[in-house]
Amino acid sequence: MAFPSDDKKPMINGQKNTQQELWRFDKRIDSEPDNCAKIIETLLVQLESFGWSNRDSFGIHMAMEEAILNAIRHGNQCDPEKQVHVKIEICHERFYSQVTDQGAGFRLCDVPDPTLEENLDNTCGRGVMLIKNFVDQVQYNEAGNSVELVKTRSK
Amino acid sequence: MENYECIDLQNVERVSVVKFKDNRVMDPARIEKLGQELMALVDDVDNDNLLINFENVKFFSSAAINKLIVLEKRVRANGGKIRLSNLRPEVRDLFSYTHLDSIFKIDEAQAESLKSFASDR
Repeated sequence: MAFPSDDKKPMINGQKNTQQELWRFDKRIDSEPDNCAKIIETLLVQLESFGWSNRDSFGIHMAMEEAILNAIRHGNQCDPEKQVHVKIEICHERFYSQVTDQGAGFRLCDVPDPTLEENLDNTCGRGVMLIKNFVDQVQYNEAGNSVELVKTRSK
Repeated sequence: MENYECIDLQNVERVSVVKFKDNRVMDPARIEKLGQELMALVDDVDNDNLLINFENVKFFSSAAINKLIVLEKRVRANGGKIRLSNLRPEVRDLFSYTHLDSIFKIDEAQAESLKSFASDR
């Protein structure tokens, strides 16, 4: 996957981003886990340039990593024919993302509760739970193949 | 003693103190390596008490947590104990949201962990 160069250097010489009001990202990536790391890297640079705190960035990083990896692994089953559509919008006060895969979708109620004692060492379901905890709003579509995440900057 | 790529190991007051070399424990290949080194470490060291000091850690992915869970089982099977210390608030959140703080004893600072190990002896 190659990002156009304008996505790679969104910051203004490493300064706090005072000129840009909103950063938008809209890409379809192949179902390859390494592609997740590239998006996260770009995302973290943007969050920093918009002055988001480490703690907020950590939460967004965690939620996005889980959402994208879930889409690649569980949604698309790492099928090279399928893609994950990642949309992100960042401004000073609000983070928004939509991650959509081309899989069959899932139902939240089918995911085992990872916080139950018998499931604590079971990785299944932990991603969904981390997403829920680290951002403010999580909304899955009816088909279960798309999730929207919103986080408002902490005061 | 082996040379580790992903961790630093020190023996302090009969406790093996582990620190991670990476600030952001997230790269899948590094996490695999980390998992192997943590398991090798349990065989390498001659005491059963392990303290994992997170002072360097700014990000810790869910895959890295899985490695810690495997490690904890191994240490417990050997009759040893694990404690974690020096977690940033956001990393601490990760353990509480996942309820993994019921498996891992978490202390504010390394000194507290060492004290707890000493009083358990």
